[in-house]
Amino acid sequence: MVTIDLAEISVRKANELIWKQGADGDDVEVINPDARHHIGVGLTSPITVKIRGSAGYFCAGLTDQAHFEVDNNVGWGLGDNMYVGSVVVAGNAGAIAGVAIRGAELVIRGNMGSRAGQVMKAGTLCCAGNANFMAGYMMYGGRIIILGDSGERLGEDMTGGEIFLGGRLQDLGSDAEVTDTADEEIESIREFLDRYKISFEGTFQKVVNAGKKLRYSTSEEQMRSIPFFSFSGDSSYWNPKIQEDIHVKSQIGRYRIRGYGGARSLPHLSDLAFKRDLSSAGDDVDVASKVEMYTEIGSKNGANPLKLSMPVMIAPMSYGALSRSTKQAIGIASSLSRIAENTGEGGMSDAQRDAADQLIFQCLGGRLGWNIHDMLRADGLEIYISQGAKPGLGGQLMAKKVTPELAAIRGIPAGIDLRSPSRHPDILGADDLIIKIEEFREATGYRLPVSVKLGAGRVRDDIKIAVKDGFDFIELDGMQGSTGAGSAEVIDYVGIPTLAAIIEAEEALAEIGRRDDIEIILMGGIRDGVDAVKGLCLGADAVAFGTSVIIAGGCIACMQCHVGQCVTGIATQDPKHEERYHIHVEAQNIHRFLESVRWQIASITQGLGHTDVRQLSRDDLVAVTPDAAAITGLPYAPEFRENRVPEVVKAS
Amino acid sequence: MCGIAGIMFKKADLDLQTGQALIDMLDGCQHRGPDSTGFALYGDAKSGQLRLRFFVGEDTEATEAIQRIQATLADQGADVVEDQVIGNNYRVTVNFDGDVRKFSYRMEHVAKVISIGSSLEIIKDVGSAHDVDDRYDVHCFRGTHGIGHVRLATESDVKPEASHPFWATGFTDVAIVHNGQITNYWKMRRRLEQRDFQFSTDNDSELVAVYLADKLSQSASLKEALASSIDDLDGTFSFLVSTRDEIGYAKDRLAAKPMIMFENDNLISIASEEVSLNRLFPGQALNTKEPPPGTYNTWSRSI
Repeated sequence: MVTIDLAEISVRKANELIWKQGADGDDVEVINPDARHHIGVGLTSPITVKIRGSAGYFCAGLTDQAHFEVDNNVGWGLGDNMYVGSVVVAGNAGAIAGVAIRGAELVIRGNMGSRAGQVMKAGTLCCAGNANFMAGYMMYGGRIIILGDSGERLGEDMTGGEIFLGGRLQDLGSDAEVTDTADEEIESIREFLDRYKISFEGTFQKVVNAGKKLRYSTSEEQMRSIPFFSFSGDSSYWNPKIQEDIHVKSQIGRYRIRGYGGARSLPHLSDLAFKRDLSSAGDDVDVASKVEMYTEIGSKNGANPLKLSMPVMIAPMSYGALSRSTKQAIGIASSLSRIAENTGEGGMSDAQRDAADQLIFQCLGGRLGWNIHDMLRADGLEIYISQGAKPGLGGQLMAKKVTPELAAIRGIPAGIDLRSPSRHPDILGADDLIIKIEEFREATGYRLPVSVKLGAGRVRDDIKIAVKDGFDFIELDGMQGSTGAGSAEVIDYVGIPTLAAIIEAEEALAEIGRRDDIEIILMGGIRDGVDAVKGLCLGADAVAFGTSVIIAGGCIACMQCHVGQCVTGIATQDPKHEERYHIHVEAQNIHRFLESVRWQIASITQGLGHTDVRQLSRDDLVAVTPDAAAITGLPYAPEFRENRVPEVVKAS
Repeated sequence: MCGIAGIMFKKADLDLQTGQALIDMLDGCQHRGPDSTGFALYGDAKSGQLRLRFFVGEDTEATEAIQRIQATLADQGADVVEDQVIGNNYRVTVNFDGDVRKFSYRMEHVAKVISIGSSLEIIKDVGSAHDVDDRYDVHCFRGTHGIGHVRLATESDVKPEASHPFWATGFTDVAIVHNGQITNYWKMRRRLEQRDFQFSTDNDSELVAVYLADKLSQSASLKEALASSIDDLDGTFSFLVSTRDEIGYAKDRLAAKPMIMFENDNLISIASEEVSLNRLFPGQALNTKEPPPGTYNTWSRSI
């Protein structure tokens, strides 16, 4: 056993030593911890780490197989996302002990803070003392044992798992109920307590999910087939869209869920035009090799950057909303075009990892599919705060798509209408976020860029926080972004248009003089290379394509993504439907689309008189509508309307 | 968005290095707020005297501000006992026995007041705890108690006057440090403004200070004022309040913001994170307590 003295070295150095000891199979003792954060984060070896004193936030977080013993207290987020392994804490634990654990055994001999076991999936969280406010909040599985009193709102909005309470039940949370215990459950608890040498003679009450909120009381109807193009018609009253909306509501008696993007006309990049005559742009067939487009993203704080052959990425879309085959095809296309793909919510499949050369791994509030092993094989990490189609709300995945296989990856019960939490358990402010980012960097040895996905809402404030908290880049998603499932009113009426979002973001960074400290990836309704170039002109470092990539790969825009019976095999988890999707054919289709984007970016950049995409600027643009001029501050020049769709697009 | 810390010593025979203790505690949680740092410190009070601190800026701007302040002090019947310029601060001690609230509001219109108190002085500026100490010698400060704050500016600018702690504008010796967000800010502010209270910022922490000071002025105890604050204020909050003789805390019912405390025979210390408390006791395992949601408490100076 080696001894590491935190009075002498930093936690970052200490963690590197702990990983090395882990690789060698030697136990570690940590002295003078003095409640420092992130001790042991990222360890994936079966060694024992003894912490002689108190540990701070995220002690033993993002680990697998290791055993931790803490002589005194721990701060927030004990054992965050821990797989197999154990932690024994002699003192008290702060808030969200056992957050998102996936099999670990955590024992707290003292009391534990609020929201213990939030979004946990499997394993045991045992507290010999009293629990606090909302223990078991939004837990999906596993077991919480509380030998003392419960605190307020026990089991608030729990989905699965069990809570065994030895002390007084103060009150139950929403959708939780007391039920009978089985003899074998009590035996199993006794065996657990004996193993950790905890004596307890009392009896237990068992609290489980009452099942009233797991599913919508009515299921979503398949709507009549109205192509998006008529669905989004300009007439705002009693058009086919409104009629269908009312018809569906008359059947289900609640708000509607649907997939795809908003169908209102909003100010967008198409309301801008290029200042120069681009009629001869695109004449040069070798233009893509003559314009410098290679872009590195994510190295602002010393991480290994994503290396993009053009300033383009794939927007985050989940395996879950999309089929495994679709994610695989997108991954292959991203590799062929030498850009980066993104997992979206819900985990990383082997197929997806193998297909994409560069893959960003996304972490959401429900921690669905999030784990240390996939973090270590990712090329970038991303904290999702919200998305443009439904800012401020969590994702929805309807029961039809929550198959046993998908549920296992996400660590949730199969067959529920999954409404993902809209908040992270451990990010309740910009201050907590700093500590969370640090945890990710600690766990992955500071190798990977850490980004934030922001749905455009309070862009000005959010962007400032993002740069101050030290993110490497921002994926800024405007209101024209799509979703696999969202409530219809939110998709159409909530959010900030992509055009306004990028302007606010640039202004915010200029106000605090920090533009050079972070990169912005703009997304939300980017349809082609023309939109891409306009986004770059307005200041984005790169743009991301979501819906357009899906369409390139066979989507027919029928807007039934939420139903789970996608006829093209894209937005489904049903093997019969997925069979129709030909991975390699669609991968080539998506790749060809991305290459058309490359050609458009190159042609327009050259047509504007530049040799490098970094020379693009606001000076290349004018606004052709009064709204767009007001939003962007660009000169209003309606005479340029013809230039909105340059010849280069028509040619392609 | 920030970290908070507070300390009160219980015994006079200790070398009451309150300034240094707060510097150490705030340095421990500086990661929560790197933009600015501030201290509310309580020294000896002399009967009939008030100490005022102002931000006056530099050079000509400072000279003009000081002239305005001195003229207004004379106009208000406050006799200057001593004064000095420290960095961008003007610190002046006056003899004054009039209506403090009216006097405070008048001074607010003349220059940027940092604090007015018989024993309270607030020192705050952009930069880290050590940066601010380098400028204002916070470590030299001896006293029974004080509170401090590190700030991550999210919705307003990084300016000295936007940093914390805030004093309760119009009331001597009440200061606040707060982590969180008061969501019924405007409603509560309008209520107080209807009763002729004035606010010098749009910051929700100033509101909490004025709210509590108003209760105290209506002869509520600090405990009673804190109890009603949990009912009246909406949002997420963990805050520390200090007066000439007491410190206290209140925590919202959602427990969304951290707070942890350690108490022994010599002192009570409270902070956002245990790492700050451990700065006072390096290498020791502390028997700390986390206040439950929706609770408050106070401690009084016995020396």
